[in-house]
Amino acid sequence: VRKQWYQRRVRGHSQTHSSCFQNIYLAGKSITEKAVNRIVNGDTILIFKKSQLILHILLEAKAQNKEFKVVVVDSRPDLSGVSSCERLTAAGIPCSYVYINSSTYIMKKVTKVMLAADALLANGYVLGPVGTAMMGLIANTYNKPVIVCCETYKFCERVQTDSILYNELADPDSMLKTLNAEESPVAGWRESPNTRLVNLVYDTTPPALVSIVITEIAELPCSSAPVVLRRGAVKM
Amino acid sequence: VVSTQSTASFKNHEMDPFLLKKIPKDTVSRLEEFALYLRESKKERRSYVSVVKTVNVFRDLICTADWVTARELIKIIKCYCKYLPLSQSNETDVSNVVRRILKIIREENAGPEATNLADGISAFFKSDMKPSNLGRSDLQDNILNSIVELLVELDTSKSNIINMALEHIHSNERILTYGHSNTIRDFLLHGRRARDFEVIVCESGPSLQGHRMAAELSAGGIKTTVIADSAAFAIIHAVNKVIIGTHTIMADGALRAANGVHQLAMAAKYFSVPVIVCAALYKLSPTHLCSYDPDAFNKVIGPENMLNFSNAKLHSKVLISNPDFDYVPSDLIELFITNTGGHAPSYLYRIISELYHPDDYDLDNMCVETVEDEL
Repeated sequence: VRKQWYQRRVRGHSQTHSSCFQNIYLAGKSITEKAVNRIVNGDTILIFKKSQLILHILLEAKAQNKEFKVVVVDSRPDLSGVSSCERLTAAGIPCSYVYINSSTYIMKKVTKVMLAADALLANGYVLGPVGTAMMGLIANTYNKPVIVCCETYKFCERVQTDSILYNELADPDSMLKTLNAEESPVAGWRESPNTRLVNLVYDTTPPALVSIVITEIAELPCSSAPVVLRRGAVKM
Repeated sequence: VVSTQSTASFKNHEMDPFLLKKIPKDTVSRLEEFALYLRESKKERRSYVSVVKTVNVFRDLICTADWVTARELIKIIKCYCKYLPLSQSNETDVSNVVRRILKIIREENAGPEATNLADGISAFFKSDMKPSNLGRSDLQDNILNSIVELLVELDTSKSNIINMALEHIHSNERILTYGHSNTIRDFLLHGRRARDFEVIVCESGPSLQGHRMAAELSAGGIKTTVIADSAAFAIIHAVNKVIIGTHTIMADGALRAANGVHQLAMAAKYFSVPVIVCAALYKLSPTHLCSYDPDAFNKVIGPENMLNFSNAKLHSKVLISNPDFDYVPSDLIELFITNTGGHAPSYLYRIISELYHPDDYDLDNMCVETVEDEL
């Protein structure tokens, strides 16, 4: 479906713009080819929440008739892993679903961890949805390879060593949503002077926790990020 | 996996006839009531309440059962323990208190020259179970006095822990805690009386106990921030220490704690943030982790808090895991604050040898004393 969407977009735009979209589409396609090669029969792959690219990779691997299972790790408050599960089960891939709290419980049975990145910083840190760093840490402790899939247009000259200095805050009231329709005890947090809800959007994963970064030009270690930036691979 | 039996089928589970011979009728009904109370394992049940209940029930048993020597009494108690649902993960506090009571009985029987097993190898070859000079009534009096001392210790265990708050919290600190714990809440509120500090609370998984903790802490005047569990790694480098409670402490200093504590402790280790565990000694269990098999160690509960049943189509196709506990290895823990003071995880083996007798580690084992049986 994604391929058709991109092709429609490319056809619909004028000549000057089409190469732009082609680069975005081809980047995803190239990463998918490389990543699918790394999936073998019998794998149990752990993914974190929802990412178009990772889902595309898994669906492509299934289309190539590879036998594997997926563990979807989800976290509050947005719970986007549910829609990941829906897409994977629709394609016939056996799925497990856990919250991030239970990730140490299931990590033993996992063979690889595939994470998506929102950006790759110049010092090798991976910026991803909050919780990515935790997945990287746990995977490292249990000696599972961590594969980060990131297109080169996401590489960034910024450097950052921690997650707090530069981040985004999402709506704090979304943390109050509970699935069992009971009101949260901190529902009146705005009236209380002592309570705050903090809903971070991103976090940075140190490069030591990442095994490999798959980009459309090559499969690199995290430390190669400045080399790619210097090479100017991003020609938009 | 826990199987809860309905009351009807429970009544079919009879007490051992040996036990029924030794106990009068009205005590039997009280013992059955206690077993039912344990079987209806309510999640919010405070461990202190069940521990006090246990001591009272066993005190009742000791007074009314038909025994002459300590050996007979221990056999009766162990027989009753087989009837109780003690092998469920929830019941470690009850088992520990029963082990304390058995140790009290053995000590009172051996009299003032009681050999402490921690004192050396020769202690292994001395029998504590020789019939004492004291008759039943004197022995029973001694045992009941010691049990009263045990109750006082259980009563004061929380206040002993929270009185140490000022030694471990300094001004302008940021403390990270996980989920809800009565001990930690009172510990932090006690520290608030003299120091000004901030607390960051992790929501704690599907049950969201962290919200309750945050509400209680901010009502007590502590500046509290609630974060999602996934954000723990992101903020932990800016935190001074992690203070958590636990459900059980294993014999090597590992924890059986709330789901999600292991990854928090791993993140703390990565950034060298000390992890401090506050727990009373009745949570210290002389059992080790024998198997990583979830059924042996963990308990998996229903996923209705994770994924709505309105999403029924997904429920039928996806394997959803909602484990209740988490195993935290002892190398991730810096300090235990217990009612007897602060201890390193490496010291707990010594406390275990003082609190419990090796023949009671496995309550299913009906053997009263291995020494004589081997000789």
